[in-house]
Order: sequence, then structure tokens, then C-alpha cells
Amino acid sequence: MSADAASHADAAALRRTLARLREAGRALAARPPGAVLDALGAVLDAWRDAGSPPRRALAEGLPRSAGFSRAVVERGLEIGLGPFSGARLRALYERELGPPDAGRGAAASPRRLATGFPSTAVLLAGAIPSASLATLLAPLALRSAVLARPASRDPLTAPILRESLARVDAELGAAVAAVAFDARSDDALDAFLAADCVVATGSDATVARVAARVAPPRRFVGYGHRVSFAALGPEAAFGAALAAACEALALDVALWDQLGCLSPVSLVVAGDASAARRAAEALAGALERLEGELPRGEVPRDAAARTAHERAEAEMRAAARGDVALFAGRGFTVVAERDARLDRPAPLHRFVRVHPVEDAAGVVAALAPYGPHLAAVGLAGFGGAAPDLARALAGLGASRLCPLGTLQAPPLDWCHDNEGVLLPLARLTDFEPS
Amino acid sequence: MSRVSRPDPARAELDRRVRAFIRERTADDFREDEAGFEALALELFAFQYAHCPPYARFCDARGRAPGALRSWRDVPAAPTGAFKELALRSFPPERTCKVFRTSGTTGERRGALYLDTLSLYEASLVPTFERFVLPDLAEGARARFLVLGPSPGEAADSSLAHMLGAMVARRGAPESRFFVRGGELDTGALARALAAAEESEEPVVLCGAAFAFVHALDALAARGAAFRLRASARAMETGGYKGRSRELGAEALYRAIEDRFGVSPARIVNEYGMTELASQFYDAVLREPYDVALREPAAPRRKLGPPWARVRILDPETGEDCAEGEAGLVAVVDLANTGSVIAVQTADLARRVGGGFELLGRAPGADARGCSLAADETLGAPG
Repeated sequence: MSADAASHADAAALRRTLARLREAGRALAARPPGAVLDALGAVLDAWRDAGSPPRRALAEGLPRSAGFSRAVVERGLEIGLGPFSGARLRALYERELGPPDAGRGAAASPRRLATGFPSTAVLLAGAIPSASLATLLAPLALRSAVLARPASRDPLTAPILRESLARVDAELGAAVAAVAFDARSDDALDAFLAADCVVATGSDATVARVAARVAPPRRFVGYGHRVSFAALGPEAAFGAALAAACEALALDVALWDQLGCLSPVSLVVAGDASAARRAAEALAGALERLEGELPRGEVPRDAAARTAHERAEAEMRAAARGDVALFAGRGFTVVAERDARLDRPAPLHRFVRVHPVEDAAGVVAALAPYGPHLAAVGLAGFGGAAPDLARALAGLGASRLCPLGTLQAPPLDWCHDNEGVLLPLARLTDFEPS
Repeated sequence: MSRVSRPDPARAELDRRVRAFIRERTADDFREDEAGFEALALELFAFQYAHCPPYARFCDARGRAPGALRSWRDVPAAPTGAFKELALRSFPPERTCKVFRTSGTTGERRGALYLDTLSLYEASLVPTFERFVLPDLAEGARARFLVLGPSPGEAADSSLAHMLGAMVARRGAPESRFFVRGGELDTGALARALAAAEESEEPVVLCGAAFAFVHALDALAARGAAFRLRASARAMETGGYKGRSRELGAEALYRAIEDRFGVSPARIVNEYGMTELASQFYDAVLREPYDVALREPAAPRRKLGPPWARVRILDPETGEDCAEGEAGLVAVVDLANTGSVIAVQTADLARRVGGGFELLGRAPGADARGCSLAADETLGAPG
């Protein structure tokens, strides 16, 4: 399978592509939903195989475009695609929208009907292929044709998916197009955003800019800036439990070089400063061991500059006040802080700050300022306090609470941004039979 | 009753020598004096090592005590972030006469530069501003400063307000004004002042932070007001946006300034300064040939500074000097920082260009966290 980048398009080409996709969407909408889900499921199941052409193409191409090491791409896909399967896609559909073929033929008529839009424009961001895959599959599951603009650092997932779909189901393949265009051109951007439904991922500024250009009755679904954290409870404060938690957290940090919205930027530890320091040291050791297995990829110059600056800043505080400890090595930095202020810069690329907090309530207080942008919190060692902590974090806005070591493997039905996966893209019709 | 300590005689002598160095280099057309710079830098370092305990401990941790250094390049640079966490002053706290703070939102930690004298600060900023922003003005001639920002009285902890206040006091014509009051741009007054400036022979200096220019451009556009300042006018903009306005790239900003104020990009100077430093750096566009056809300087825009402040562009991985044209982080040794530390390391990215440097990007603030989407220019270049 080739890993061709998306084709470059101007406004006129985008309009032609969208017109063609709308036709393909109409053809797709005429098919039974279950049959489309089966075809998508077959593709998902094929992608689970590490030796499959899509997986090989991504492992080959993503290191070049995104700068990840090949080992990170391979392991990230293995872990990230683990929870994805045809069966889970169908289960997701049934959970959010009901049985796919209800009301067709002999099946009972549903009270609520769900249909997709004829076309959905998807503006992708970031460099995590499993996240892009999930974003692209959602409208297709609703039998909506997809016009995708791949992110600059992952130009591959969308065209590879299109090719995979075409091999399994020509009509589905025809319902996907990946296009590159200069979004600084208002004409081109508006032509792209003329789809019936628009999904935009990116920074809050990008999402706001796109939202302002998509007027009703078109549907707009935006996924903006998100940040994730890890929290360690008293039951993982020492010994083997601490080591295991930090090994798991190191994997969450190392995968995708900490560049995903599910990558934890900071660890908060319920305990005193010495507990935070112990955790920082254990985490640094785990990251150092992982560096051999999952080497950190290329670090852009600006990120390297930020890392160097933050290392020097921590070094200076450590020397001047002795109140922080710096654990740095090739490919990672861990700073043990003495306070719960999480507002210091986070250069990413495997840079973690570890903060002490008094207890589970302290975890909530420390993360509260990030509530509006909170994605996931990875947890370990809270024992019986976990349910209450989970409720409090959910109250802040977290959309996923999970064990450390699983942050990079969100389920296909993860309600990211606190809403459903398919529901935001669906048109719902209540059917009240006479 | 608090007792203010007497100035340290050694420090007073160092200040005197730095002021003399600034005077000599200014009189000598900003030519470098490597030996003079080296000697002062090493002496200042030794003084600051002895009088700024947090800095001394940092130097010790790096094995860089006075006596072990051979060159000003060996002076350990304090990261700008440390100014948010530590009081880096080389004088007793009770002698503090001024504190400049970095910009920031409510609750955000702000960096602070503590000063026990403003004389060196001003001794540095004035000749540098004159050289790069007012090079075509006769000595002592005054210009009409239209400042898109608050006065020093209104923003007492702003180093930019202080700098512009100092320049208005020294070179400003009577009609010079600050147009931000109570945090609000007085658009009406600005429009009237611009209209008056159009009719005046007096050279105009339109200056402020980049976000202030955007606010002014938007506000004047909303009024449908546009101006054609005379060819002698120049603009000086500085700093990033930090979420205070919509963001414009330099090219778009300069085009908008030209369209709205009639100031050509050839006469728009970007200043690179920071609260933590007494000295500033400027685009050399007003001193260098300009290619009218290309609407750009004949060579890439480069920044130059005074000979009492040296810039190094460092490889972030190795800490070594980058080769010409290679991107690295900016570190500055500023002899005018006598009350603090002379060597400061930023997280800003630049590359060396023909004896100066080109700024490639300023480090984002504390909001730079979370997933890489925040840094992804999703709607930027072709995706």
C-alpha cells in the first residue's frame, strides 16, 4: 500500500470534490446501515494486524512526517488500535443510536431515527493516527461521505484509510477524499467548509475561526485544546506499587512523545514533597529504560529551546532553593516540584513535572483550573477513594478516567469532549407511529 | 524606621565604568570593544556571584565560579523563567527603587526585574533607541511620539512604558501622547492626533506592542479612519500577542500598518526586548539599504543591539554556539544589568544573520501546555 499524501486542491477543485462526495454520500445513505458498519468493521479489524498494509505504511511514513521513531509508531498503533474492532464499532453504534437496521424490513421500527449528513468535512490536527482514524470513521458510520484535510504532521492516515476502504468496499472508498489546501485562502477554506457537517480539531483559536465560518443549518462539531494529567494515590507511594505505576505512566508519556491530548503533562502525587520526589525519580528511571525500547523522535528546534530553558530554570531553582529536583537524561526530563502549581510551562516531548498534593481532594484542587480543557486523568493507588475522586474529576470536566498505562488506548466509544462519538454528527428524527 | 543601606562602593564603581563604556561605545559609532566588554563582563560576574546568593549557587552547581571563567561566554546565563521564581538582585532588597514585571494574566506568576537605580537602564536604552529608531533625526531634534500604550505613570511596572516614557521625555515633541488610559485605547484621541500629524512637518514615531497595533488598527477600521503619515514617519512595534488580540504575522501586520497609517514596511522597526534586560535590540531597517521593488530590506531583516549587550545563539541540545543561519535559543550578556545578573537565557528562537540576528519565534507563555494541537497551525500553511 502506498502512503501517498493528500492531493493539493484549490477552491474550484474542492467544490468539485465535495459535489462528487455528496453523490457518494447519497449512494451510501441508500444502503442498510448494518452493511456499512460491517464494511467499516472489516477495515478496522484489518488495521489491527501489525503486518497489514495500512500499519506498515504508517510505520514507514509517520516517522518522516511527524518525527516519531518507528518503534513509537509501531507500539503506539499496537496499543492505540487495540480497543478498535468491528464488533466495538457496532456496539458503539447500538449504544448511541440503537440497532442499525431497526425499522428496515422485518425489524421493529425505532422510536428515534438517526441519519448522517450527505457530506462531512473533517479538519484533522496533530499527529496521532489512531485519533485521526476514529475521527474519520465516525461520520462514515453514519453513512456520511468524508472530505478530510489531513494534518501536516500526519498526511497519511486519511489517504491510507481511503485506500483500505476501497479495497473492501468500492462505494465506501469513493465516499472519502483527502485533500490538502492552503487554508489561508478564504476561498479554499470556505469551499472546504461548505460540507453539510463540519468537524474541526485543533487549537481553540482554530476551532473558533472555523466555527465562525460555518453558519446554520450546517452542523459544526469542534474539538479544541485538551490536556491530560496523571495522579498517584497513597497506595502507590512506595515500593513495587510505585515502580509499577511509574512504569505504566512512562509508557503513557513516551507513546507519541507526549504530543497527544491523552498524554499526561504533569503527575500529581497525594503525599508530601518526598513522595513527589520518589515518584519523580521512579518515573525518570522508567523513562530512561524506555528510551532504549521506544526512542524519542525528533524534537523541533523551538521545542528543544523550550526544554533547554525549562531544564535550566529547574536547575537554577534546585541550586538556589533546593526545593526542586531535576532528573534529566537523553530523551526525557522529570522535575520534582514542591508545590501544586501546575501553571509552569510544559515543553512536552517527554517532559513531566511531578507535584505533591495533600490528598485526593488536593488532586481535584490542583486540576481544577484546567477543567475546561481537561481530557483524561490516569489514576493509580487511590484504592477506596477512587470512586469519589472520579466523581469530583468528572465534575471538573474530565471525559476519561483510566488506569495509568492505558491513557493511549482510549476505547472507540470514548466520550471525548464529554459528548458522544456519533451523536454529535447525527441528524435525529423522532418517529411517533400513529 | 527602615534603614536604607549605603550603596556598595564596588558596585558604584562598576556602574560608573559601565556608564563610561556606554558613552565611549556610543561616541565611537557603536563599534565593539572586545577587550573592554570582556573585562567588564567578568568583573560584573564576580560581583554578582558575590552579591546574589541564588545566582551564586546556580553557578556553583555548574562549576562556574569567578576565577574559573576565561571569557564572557562562560558566564552562566539565568533562564528568564527563573525571574518568576527567584529575586535575582545583586543589592540589598531595601535598596530596590523600581520593579519591572513581565506581562501576565491575573493569577499568573510574573517575572520581575529589581532595580536599585534607573540611571544605567536609561543610559542603555536611550542611545540604542536613537540609533535604530531615530537615526535620521538631527541630534537633539524632537519627534512626535504617538504611543499605543499606557504612560509610565499608569503602568508603573511596565518596562516598555518606562522605555517609551524615557524616550518621550528626551526626544518627544510637545504633541507626543500616550493613548491608553485605564486599559482602554482612546481611539478618538488617537484619530485626532493622527489627523493632526498628517498635517505636520514633525517626524512621527508611532509605537507600541504588536497587540496594541492590532487593537488600534481594528478600532480605526471600525471608524473607517485611515491616515497617510508623511514619509518621515516611522513605526516601532514590539512583543508578542499573548492572547491580547487576534494574531497577525509580521508581514500582515506591516501591510495593515502601511494601509491604515501610511507607514511603509521599510520604516517599521521591530524591537526585541524583555523585562529581564536593561538593553534592547532592533531591526536595522532604518540604517540599512531597502529594496523598494522587493518591499523588503536588501538583506534579510536583522536585529542589532548596542555593543554593551552581546547576543549568543545557542544549540539547545549542546549549549554551544550555533553556526551562522542555524536556529538556536537566544542568550544575552548585557553589561547594563548590573543590579541583577548580566547573563540571561531565553527560550526564544533566532538565527545569526550577518553580524546581527533574526528572531524566528518568541517562546509562548505559561499557557503553552497540553497537547500539540495548541501549537498546530491547523489553518496555516498547506496541510
